[in-house]
Amino acid sequence: MPIDRRHLGRRYGPYRYAVGLEKLRDFAVAVAGGIPGAAFPSAPPAPPHPWLVDEEAGAASPYGSLVGAPTFCATFAMRPFADACVDPALGIDLVRLVHAEQEFEYGAPVRPGDVIETAGEVTGIEQKSRLDFLTVTTTSRNQRGELVVRGTWTAIIRG
Amino acid sequence: MKQLADFRPGDTFGLTRTCDRYRPVYYAAVSGDFNPIHIDPEVGKRAGFPGAILQGMCTLAWAADACVAYFDDPARIRRLRARFSRPVNVGDTVTVSGRCVAVEGGTVRVELSAVNQHGVEVLKGAVAEGSFGEDR
Repeated sequence: MPIDRRHLGRRYGPYRYAVGLEKLRDFAVAVAGGIPGAAFPSAPPAPPHPWLVDEEAGAASPYGSLVGAPTFCATFAMRPFADACVDPALGIDLVRLVHAEQEFEYGAPVRPGDVIETAGEVTGIEQKSRLDFLTVTTTSRNQRGELVVRGTWTAIIRG
Repeated sequence: MKQLADFRPGDTFGLTRTCDRYRPVYYAAVSGDFNPIHIDPEVGKRAGFPGAILQGMCTLAWAADACVAYFDDPARIRRLRARFSRPVNVGDTVTVSGRCVAVEGGTVRVELSAVNQHGVEVLKGAVAEGSFGEDR
C-alpha cells in the first residue's frame, strides 16, 4: 500500500546524544574489521586512522582529541529515519524495507564529550513502478550550535 | 599531514573488507542499528535474501574509510553520497576503489565504486568531497 503523501513534513525528534570516547573508538574498530568492546576485543587486520582510535595521536592532531569516523553520525543521526520507518502512521512493513540511498553533508567534526541534537522530517514520499520511496532529512548540531551533519536518508519499500 | 598540493586528479586508492559472519552484529553494536534483517538470518530469508544482510551504512563506512586513508584525515570530508544497489551478504568480500576526479579551489572530489567478489556493484554513484582550503 502506498505511503500517504499527507505525511510529508512529518517531524521526529529532536534527540540528544552525548558522544563517548569508547563509542568513537569501537565504531572505527568494528568498521575496520576488528571486534569492538572491552571484554573480547580484537584489533582489526589493518589499523584504522590513528586519530580515530589512538588518544595520544588524537591529542597531537589539529583536533586535539579523537574524532568520529565520517559515518559515525549514523549512531545519532539515523533515529528520525528509523522513527519514520516504524511509525504506525506510515504503516511500513520493515521486512520489505531496504536502505536505498544516503547522502551526508558535513560540518564540525565529532569529538568525545560533544552533545549533539538531531531532528528530522519526512521530505520525500514517492511511488515508482510498484516501489515506494521514503526520504527523511536530518539536521544534527553540536552544543555550540554548529552544524555537524545534514543527512538525507532514503528507503525503498518493495511492493 | 597532506596538503592540497598532494592531491591530483587521477589518483587512485582503495581497500578490501569482508563481511564475516558476525560483522552485521558488530556493526549493530557500534551503530545502534539492530534492525532484525541485519542480525537474524531467518528475518533475512523472509525478506528474500540468503540470510542476514549487512547494514548499508557499514558498506558506506568502508567507502568512507577509503576516503579517510586517502585524505589522511578523518574529518576533512565535507560530502558523501551513495546508492545501495545490492545487499552485502554474510561471506561477501567488498572491494572499494576510489579515484580523484577533480581538485578545485580547496575541494578534492572523488568517485568511488564498491563491488563484491562476483564483481557486482553494491554501491552506485558514490562520491565524496574533502575540503583542504580552509581552517578546520
